[in-house]
Amino acid sequence: MAAATGIHHTTYGADLALRHTRAEHARLALMLVALVALPFLVSPYWLTIVNQIGIAVIGAIGLNILVGFTGQISLGQGGFLAVGAYTSGLLAARSGFPFPLDMAAAVLVTAVIGTLFGLPALRLKGLYLAIATLASQQIILWVVTHWDAVTGGTSALVVPPAVLLGWQINGDMSWYWVIAALATLATLAATNLMRTGMGRAFVAIRDHDVAAEVIGVDPFRYKMLAFFVASAFVGLAGALTARYNLIVTWERFTFDVSILYLAMIIVGGLGSISGAIYGAAFMIAVPAWIEDLSRNLSGLAFLQPDMPAIQQLIFGATIVLFLVFEPRGLARVWQRVQEYFRLWPFR
Amino acid sequence: METFIQLTINGLSNGAILALAALGFVLIYKATGVINFAQGEFLLIAGFVIWFMLVEVGSPWFVGVGVAIVVAIALGLVIERVILRPMVGQPVISVIMVTIGLSAVLGAIVQIIWGTRPRAFPEFIPAGSVELFGATVPENRLWAIGIVAVALAGFTTFYSRSREGIAMRAVADDQQAALAQGISLRRTFALAWALAGVSAVFGGALVTNLVGVSGAISSFGLLVFPVVIVGGLDSVGGAVAGGAIIGLLSSYTGGYVGGGLETVIPYMALLAILLVRPYGLFGQTRIERV
Amino acid sequence: MSSKWIRTTAAAAAIVLAGSITACGSDDTSSGGSGSDQTVKVGGIFDLSGATADVGTPYADGIKGFVKDYDRQGDGPKIELTSEDYKYDVAVAERLYSRLKSDGVVAIQGWGTGDTEALRVKITADRLPFMSASYAETLTKPSDTPFNFVVATSYSDQMRIALKWIDEQSSGAQVASFHHDSPFGESPQKAGAQTAKQLHLGFQSYAMPAEATDYVPQLRRAQSQGAKFVVIQNVATPAAQLAKNIAEQKLDMKVVCLNWCGDELFVDLAGKAAAGTVGVMPWAPASVKADGLAQPRTYLSKSGGSLDKQGLHYVQGWYTMALMAEGIKRAAGKGKVTGESIKQALEQMDAFDTGGVSAPVDFTATSHAGMKGSKLYVVKDGKWSALTKLENAS
Repeated sequence: MAAATGIHHTTYGADLALRHTRAEHARLALMLVALVALPFLVSPYWLTIVNQIGIAVIGAIGLNILVGFTGQISLGQGGFLAVGAYTSGLLAARSGFPFPLDMAAAVLVTAVIGTLFGLPALRLKGLYLAIATLASQQIILWVVTHWDAVTGGTSALVVPPAVLLGWQINGDMSWYWVIAALATLATLAATNLMRTGMGRAFVAIRDHDVAAEVIGVDPFRYKMLAFFVASAFVGLAGALTARYNLIVTWERFTFDVSILYLAMIIVGGLGSISGAIYGAAFMIAVPAWIEDLSRNLSGLAFLQPDMPAIQQLIFGATIVLFLVFEPRGLARVWQRVQEYFRLWPFR
Repeated sequence: METFIQLTINGLSNGAILALAALGFVLIYKATGVINFAQGEFLLIAGFVIWFMLVEVGSPWFVGVGVAIVVAIALGLVIERVILRPMVGQPVISVIMVTIGLSAVLGAIVQIIWGTRPRAFPEFIPAGSVELFGATVPENRLWAIGIVAVALAGFTTFYSRSREGIAMRAVADDQQAALAQGISLRRTFALAWALAGVSAVFGGALVTNLVGVSGAISSFGLLVFPVVIVGGLDSVGGAVAGGAIIGLLSSYTGGYVGGGLETVIPYMALLAILLVRPYGLFGQTRIERV
Repeated sequence: MSSKWIRTTAAAAAIVLAGSITACGSDDTSSGGSGSDQTVKVGGIFDLSGATADVGTPYADGIKGFVKDYDRQGDGPKIELTSEDYKYDVAVAERLYSRLKSDGVVAIQGWGTGDTEALRVKITADRLPFMSASYAETLTKPSDTPFNFVVATSYSDQMRIALKWIDEQSSGAQVASFHHDSPFGESPQKAGAQTAKQLHLGFQSYAMPAEATDYVPQLRRAQSQGAKFVVIQNVATPAAQLAKNIAEQKLDMKVVCLNWCGDELFVDLAGKAAAGTVGVMPWAPASVKADGLAQPRTYLSKSGGSLDKQGLHYVQGWYTMALMAEGIKRAAGKGKVTGESIKQALEQMDAFDTGGVSAPVDFTATSHAGMKGSKLYVVKDGKWSALTKLENAS
């Protein structure tokens, strides 16, 4: 990949390394400091947003592995999040599973169910696959709302607070550490996964499945693996949603959520781990910013009745304009900014 | 038996309306390869414009429908010119995302102009019911079937006979090759969007006639997906058959089983059909076993 | 591959940091004060542009209208209402709740099933009284949900009242209970089946699938059940569709609406098919005579609106807020206004009279079911008019 000028790799190991220069190591240290300092710098309200973003980052990374890296479009994200949330919530509330175990189980269960619903991908591509995954969204949500014995049906599922080795995780501050740690781990895991043989096989299938098969990538195996791995991430995000909010309701996982996640990875940048992060931040923080903005405009009384519609208008227009000017997403914008400053002021 | 006939007629007429609503998706997908998530808002705008012309302005129904068609064509052209033309050559999924953003924008504009209150659709399609083979069929359903038949016949002829229709199919098949033949992509895309708008006027009028003019219309887009897919994405006749299949399935499930199963049965059928025939029942077969 | 994840995390942090900086300006942590010259902050989470915005908007307008009217009168502590639109998106409701909490609100006016269910654990932990227009019976027990106040007759009680009325009209009749295919719709079904058994009525539930163009298949099953009455637990748009289908199919079934079906919108949308529909409606429609309607009517006509246009849900919002304001006033009379003191005031105060708009609202420490009964209304000449006096559920 493109490295800074003057860096020449002499081994494959060096070429594949995540960090090449001292500056990059320094940046890593800075990042860690920023992550630790963050919860002390933001208001309690923005800490909630940060936590929501953190959970969404994990889910968006999962979806991006599937859509961005392997090229299998999914409209079933909301359903898979629901599987993770209900598995974790039920195990914690009914069976008294200790805290990290219920999440681990949720990850596993979601991965398996995700793989099952991924089976049509063996024969379907593109839009047809997208609609098949939409079917999985509808079917999962129907089961969740109608299988009373398991999900509690009519009433919401109340989840007990998480306790980790005697530490009760409660409130945004405690959850920040859990979510930040898991989001960082997920980011690392995904980044590393993408430089293994499996990750390259995913990309090969996306770019040209027939060619991939010719060079020895088994599409059956790797498509299923992609669904398995991606759904595992999504399951973790779902489980976190349940434990963080202390309640699971079906209305948290509607089709709109599937669309929202798709929007995250497209706006962020398909096939880019960092893109999933930018996208999650964008889709959650921007509406909050627009709200702030409209609060500051509260003096304009004549606009007030239309404010909700205006907010939606601004948000939709942002997405449209943004993609018209940069169809490859925020990750690409960031790359361009970096390239500009690398050569600055000589260009 | 009477129940069976009733459910069959009901399912078929619903299927016809769904097929017409689905047509807009097919038109745009055929020409541009894009799923238009804003199609539901097209239905909504058409419904509101007709309502506005007939109730607020007090015009006769054909004027209202005419104005709605003009608005729909203008809207399609503006969207194509301002938003989609700069996206030519970009990844299809980015364009799909643009249509999601567009649906938010259009929904917001409708809310700013007409608010959130649902309106009753003016009754220019006759109400009342007739007896048919022992089943009670509302007249508006018969009209719907008639309108759908005419509209679909029109579109089918357009595709197989007219120069523009054939050009559109060429573009759908291979954009590069079509360009090499001297077909203007811009013109074709613009035409596809305008036609999708027109089909939304008919679809919107029929749907809002049944359920009222409200923001809820925009989610009918979702219901339409199975229809398009079962029929096969690139076939107009397929949309009709898909509509009938999905309409009948949900009608029979609702009438014999119930329990809310009627919402998922179409999707289960969808999965089953796709596993056996990956390109729908009538879609162009392009199976690659990988 | 360069150091992708470092850049990644750095960018995320930068975005978040930038966000927090813009957000800091609007942070005000002053809490609800004491004494009647103090300002009490109340939060609002409404749906003004989402799936239920058609009825969410007048409801929210009613709450806002009451607060303006109340503050102008200057009787009791000033109420400052901070409200936002959550678009019927549960994730947004969770976020807005956090914002209201850091704004220092002492009580919250919510809206539907989505936000009420999602927030009920948090408001209990933070001890913030929460009122909304979601009237599920599961929210009425203070032992489970001590800070949720179900202001109106619960869906289950509405169902019981409807069945009692049906029993009086024709004993032993078959009842088809049509409902929204969701927990909201399911909510009164169990109570319905039990009550029907006691009254020896036939009773069957039918889920109404969302986004259906008609409900003829479901009606067909109701027909073979022999149903003479159709109870609807759904919002006005699909309910009107169902009523129209019944008329088109020339079925001999009487429609009985529970509160989300029984409103002016239903009459508008169903047109002629609405005639004769009976409504178990805890809140009076704007078309009937009730002393309590005068106040919102005067306020609206002064500010250029019209109660007839806004309809029943405006009144519903208005009196839900009036009730909360009464609790706040009493809490202020006793000392510091906190969530806890508002809760106590609401539980201890005598039945709150809404001037005939609804049954008197009475909360106790053991029951947060505000109204025990409801009036019944009937659609006549395209308008809701009074049918019965107050009917009780038990």
